[in-house]
Amino acid sequence: MDVPSKTHKGWQDVVTGKKTFQLKFLAAKILLGRLTRSVKDNPTPDNVKASIDQLHDIFAQNVHIPSVQDDLKTIFG
Amino acid sequence: MRQEILSIDDAKRKISEGRKLLLAGDEDALRQLPKGDWLAGTIPYFISHERGGLVARDLIFATDVTDIVTSVAITQYDQNSLARVYAEGPKHGFSFIVIPASSQTHLSFALNGPNYKSFGVRPLIGWIAGVHLDDLGKRTPKVFNGITGDVVEDGALVLQAELPPSKLAEIGIINLFEQGDGDILTFSEDGFSAKYVMVNGEKTEFAPYLKKLKLDTKLPLVADYYGVMVNISFQGVDDTDGTVKFYAPVFSGIRYKHAKPVTDYVKSFGECLSKECDVDTDKVVFSCNCILNYLYSELENKKTEPFVGPVTFGEIAYQLLNQTLVYLEVKDM
Repeated sequence: MDVPSKTHKGWQDVVTGKKTFQLKFLAAKILLGRLTRSVKDNPTPDNVKASIDQLHDIFAQNVHIPSVQDDLKTIFG
Repeated sequence: MRQEILSIDDAKRKISEGRKLLLAGDEDALRQLPKGDWLAGTIPYFISHERGGLVARDLIFATDVTDIVTSVAITQYDQNSLARVYAEGPKHGFSFIVIPASSQTHLSFALNGPNYKSFGVRPLIGWIAGVHLDDLGKRTPKVFNGITGDVVEDGALVLQAELPPSKLAEIGIINLFEQGDGDILTFSEDGFSAKYVMVNGEKTEFAPYLKKLKLDTKLPLVADYYGVMVNISFQGVDDTDGTVKFYAPVFSGIRYKHAKPVTDYVKSFGECLSKECDVDTDKVVFSCNCILNYLYSELENKKTEPFVGPVTFGEIAYQLLNQTLVYLEVKDM
């Protein structure tokens, strides 16, 4: 399964909290708990980009895990 | 059985057989063990299959990972180099970490871990080593590198385990605490203590607030991390300056609430397993639970099947947690 590129709007929707999802992968949830708060407090393009980079990395490096694949389907369909 | 209680002699035998072991025990017990492929932390409290919760200075809790890993290596980090722990984790495996409680490395990891490079990209699970409660202030928690024989009071030992290509590691937690219906509590800075708290946005002295509302400090503060409940346990109140102390740091910007009570931990635990928790118990390789759950929920002689393991001064599932059971599953791809 491919991980959508960082430019996909779905990543921005997640880190900005515009859309929320019920995810399964523990590491991503813990990370998002911090990132969404950080972006809310500091919604600059640089902070949004840095947050997307981190989130994308955690998914890309764990894409072999079924819960990660489920989460990607949940976010991107 | 991968996780079991051993006599010191049985632990020696397993080490001599070349088993790869994650161990927990009292310092005097661990010091009797020969060199080998093992890593350990000090703690004499355990949950076992046979006896449930127990305290024993002459027993060792062993997690045998020999048959699930292809190789192991142990790396020692200090409070600075630990920032590489996620990035240096095995590409296909897991990292198992033990840090002595109250060491500078423990405090640094707790505060800074979530900001380390590549946080969470590879599985990191482990625990905070402690001591018998009678030894608090008399002995220090330690971690043991069985390969080198080193005993470490300030540092982290990490066993990096590679898995076969057909296996994958996944970390889970079981936290029976949920946010209560009370005030939203936030803090102006990260730290293990706080004199002031923002109560629904209003700056308030924390200790008098706790007293006024008669909040039970055996119940943690709970933050919602994108659906994951993360606890911050109360350590106490310093009467000299009114500072409230915690076993894990609060973070600025995170919204906390005082937890709902859990009246019967064992019963709630069973209900959680049967109704809510998606755990394939046959695949659980390691688990540990918090000493505060052991004490407050009186788990001595009580079982939390199928989970066993050391009873710890802090749990690590990617980051430091409190009053939470953490577990590692190794599954088929």
